[in-house]
Amino acid sequence: MIENVPFALLLGIKVLVVLGLMLGVSLVLIYAELKWSAHIQSRVGPWYVGGRWGWAHPLAEAVKFLQKEDLVPEEADDKVFRLAPYVMLAGTVATFVVIPIGPEWVARNLDVGIFYLLAISSLSTLGVLMAGWGSGNKYSLIGGVRAGAQLIAYELPLVLALVAVAIQAGTLSLTGIVEAQATPLFTIGGVDIALPYVLSGQIIGFVIFVIASLAELNRTPFDLPLAESELTMGYVTEYSGLRFTMFFLGEYAGMVSMAAIVSTVYLGGYWMPGLSDSALDIAGPFILLAKIFFVLFLFIWFRWTWPRIREDQLQGLAWKWLIPLTLFNIIATATLKVVL
Amino acid sequence: MTQLDSRGIVEVSDGGVSVELKGEAMTLNIGPQHPSTHGVLRLVAEVDGERISKLDPAIGYMHRGKEKLSEVRTYPQITALINRIDWVSGFANEVAFIRAVEKLTGIEPTERAQMIRLILTELTRISNHLVFASSYPLELGAATPLMWAFREREHIMDVIESVTGGRFHPNFNRVGGVKPAAGGGKTQKKVSLDLPSGFYASVENAMDKAELACDELDELVTGNEMIQIRTKDVGIISYEDAVAYGISGPNARASGVPTDLRKLEPDVLPYAGLDFDVITRENGDSFDRYLVRIAEIRESIKIVRQAVNSVPAGPLQAKVPRVLKVPAGSIYVRAENPKGEMGYYIVSQGGRVPYRVKIRSASFSNISIMSKVAVGQLIPDLVATMGSLDFVLGDVDR
Amino acid sequence: MTDSPSETTELDAFAGEFAAKIGAERWTADHGTVHVYVDREHWLTAAIAARDEGELDFFSWLSAVDWSREVAVGEPAEDVDNLEERYEVLCRLSSSTNSDAVILATVLDKEEARLDSLTPVYAGAAWHERETAEMFGIDFPGHPNLINLYLPEAFEGHPLRKSFALGAREVKPWPGHVDVEDMPSTENIEAGEGS
Repeated sequence: MIENVPFALLLGIKVLVVLGLMLGVSLVLIYAELKWSAHIQSRVGPWYVGGRWGWAHPLAEAVKFLQKEDLVPEEADDKVFRLAPYVMLAGTVATFVVIPIGPEWVARNLDVGIFYLLAISSLSTLGVLMAGWGSGNKYSLIGGVRAGAQLIAYELPLVLALVAVAIQAGTLSLTGIVEAQATPLFTIGGVDIALPYVLSGQIIGFVIFVIASLAELNRTPFDLPLAESELTMGYVTEYSGLRFTMFFLGEYAGMVSMAAIVSTVYLGGYWMPGLSDSALDIAGPFILLAKIFFVLFLFIWFRWTWPRIREDQLQGLAWKWLIPLTLFNIIATATLKVVL
Repeated sequence: MTQLDSRGIVEVSDGGVSVELKGEAMTLNIGPQHPSTHGVLRLVAEVDGERISKLDPAIGYMHRGKEKLSEVRTYPQITALINRIDWVSGFANEVAFIRAVEKLTGIEPTERAQMIRLILTELTRISNHLVFASSYPLELGAATPLMWAFREREHIMDVIESVTGGRFHPNFNRVGGVKPAAGGGKTQKKVSLDLPSGFYASVENAMDKAELACDELDELVTGNEMIQIRTKDVGIISYEDAVAYGISGPNARASGVPTDLRKLEPDVLPYAGLDFDVITRENGDSFDRYLVRIAEIRESIKIVRQAVNSVPAGPLQAKVPRVLKVPAGSIYVRAENPKGEMGYYIVSQGGRVPYRVKIRSASFSNISIMSKVAVGQLIPDLVATMGSLDFVLGDVDR
Repeated sequence: MTDSPSETTELDAFAGEFAAKIGAERWTADHGTVHVYVDREHWLTAAIAARDEGELDFFSWLSAVDWSREVAVGEPAEDVDNLEERYEVLCRLSSSTNSDAVILATVLDKEEARLDSLTPVYAGAAWHERETAEMFGIDFPGHPNLINLYLPEAFEGHPLRKSFALGAREVKPWPGHVDVEDMPSTENIEAGEGS
């Protein structure tokens, strides 16, 4: 049936779905963070906007930002400064292209899905670097440089953790990885048991991937590029209005995309035991969303509980602990794969 | 860690290749508007990358000239000025001043008033330390302790407000006692002539809540490994530096200095009959300064619990002449403010206004060591050190 | 005075002993506050002696008092016509382990408002001397960085001098037409609850 739809129309629909999904989930996430953080801090959180529980609060904030003046500092590198938020947002949006939300629901099922993911998700750091450099502000510059150093240190554990998954699944395609997780591992009393990778051998990889993705996202305890108490607001210090909103949205969209990757690769993606393929076609997106929000809850929980660590400690954690551990994980996975 | 030499040149040799990297120092202006300078402190830092090679605190953005203003005000009017010096612990600022005036004039405050002063001073100390314990994690990047500690601090503020009528600026001390009636003036009714009813119960409740806050902070902050690696061995101040720079209060006690003016100046407030310990620690790093304050909250709770059971009956105010003239003489009286030694040197020439008032505030001396401690630190360490010194800009600039 | 006689004697004894240690001749011990007066030439050596012999390691503060016949605001000094024009520089030192404390004092001529810096002895004196320098116009030779602490570099005058007018009082004289409020009568005060 899909073959009959004209390519351009299909593309348009896909773009709308991906954008809508990303923005919609991001707005929900902003609301969720406001509410969850409020409850962690024994506050109420958004209450008035929209009538009940302040559900329209993120919308109101977006509208507020739209009204603000779009300032460009005199010292700024004009073009770089203006372009940076788009680069940041584009890198984040592009990751959704390969995330499967159902057996048939994927914008583009690339055979090298993981490669694509890792390559494209680093693009947003380029946006951060551009913002840091282009702002013409020393705090922004330090923030941008910190983000660059952080990217180099934490891209490695991220990649190496996924290498182990690729070895175990035997494919680089994300749909393939989900299907591999849905494949029964063994049978107990006539019931086929399939386990997501977090439960079947990749627990170390899961933990490291979550830690590294926190660093990639500049979330507490790795929010050094922003570091409000040190660098005022790091690379977004000079931004206002719509461009600030892009960064804000980009941050949350980045969280959603990282959570989507974690859910897909480690938690079984759209798949849930006991559901047939046709049922997954309908329920898949919701299952994935539930898993995404579980991971997001972890992100938010960490942020509102922990302080920020220091640059040298951050680098030490990556190079001394995470990278050796991922290497061990790869060797262990490969050994098991050969032995079993 | 590679250290730069004085020319800013570092030699790196890697096998056969030898390169010379020249670092250029960047001047980073931290403040006067910056989230972690507690107001309008400005730090001019020379940084190489993130490492600070020189730091020059520039103060005076909030200088209100209180010493000059004191020369044109009567003694009772000055109390309104000075509780705005360190606005986080307004009541404690007044005590040393009012005791100095009382000693010069020879007016003995009533015992009941002295005990009420003591209780309010300790409540202020708990409140101040809770503000510290909540805002310090915020500077390290943790936002939640702020809300938890502020929530419990509110009970203490309610008590202070119910007694004095003001949350931050009580202006409650009078020469010879404490303000006998909240309210007053011509149009307002005099609503209270003594401690409000239910005072002791609400103090007990506030102490329970403060203890709860300490327990929560211990779980959320003190035991947190990330807080510890951020603050241990950061911003070490030695005993010798602490005394030579005039660092006082919890900051000095974290470096092992055993000075506690509550013990050393027994005639300022009646601490003599109360059982409490002076908390000292040895390392003098940021974490110790944090620990000292948390332990001091618990000690202060102990003091308040003892004190509310021993408030003597009697008048709140001794007999004082209508127009207060202070005999000629000069006196220095110091008291233990939550931030350290708060003292007033008063020169009187027999009139209604002092000839000269020198205000010795704790934060001024406490942060003067920053330019020494910060050298060689990273910017995050600078923030961690600065926050641990617990200063208030009003107390620095006066 | 409020001090009991025995305390005063103890304080007198301490003050006399301390003055002897640092080689000072004049001292007072009124109101529980010990002043030890030294010559300006001996300012630095007295501070060193106070730290090493007197064991006063804690530097509390340093400031000055302007004794002036010309008073722009506030009340003048007693017997202002016969007043000797001078600056009195005061430095409070105390012990970090016990309650020993003195105020080291010296008198400067207005024409020669110059005094050795204590920064080499007590590092904490640096900021206090900067403050005193800008507020009173006293020079501290030997200070490593004697620039204004509070005031802008272009500021004219020395605000804590008695001759420096206070703008607010020039615009609006004091006490104005409303005088200081009456003290409440003490008869109304009753003992409260509890205790």
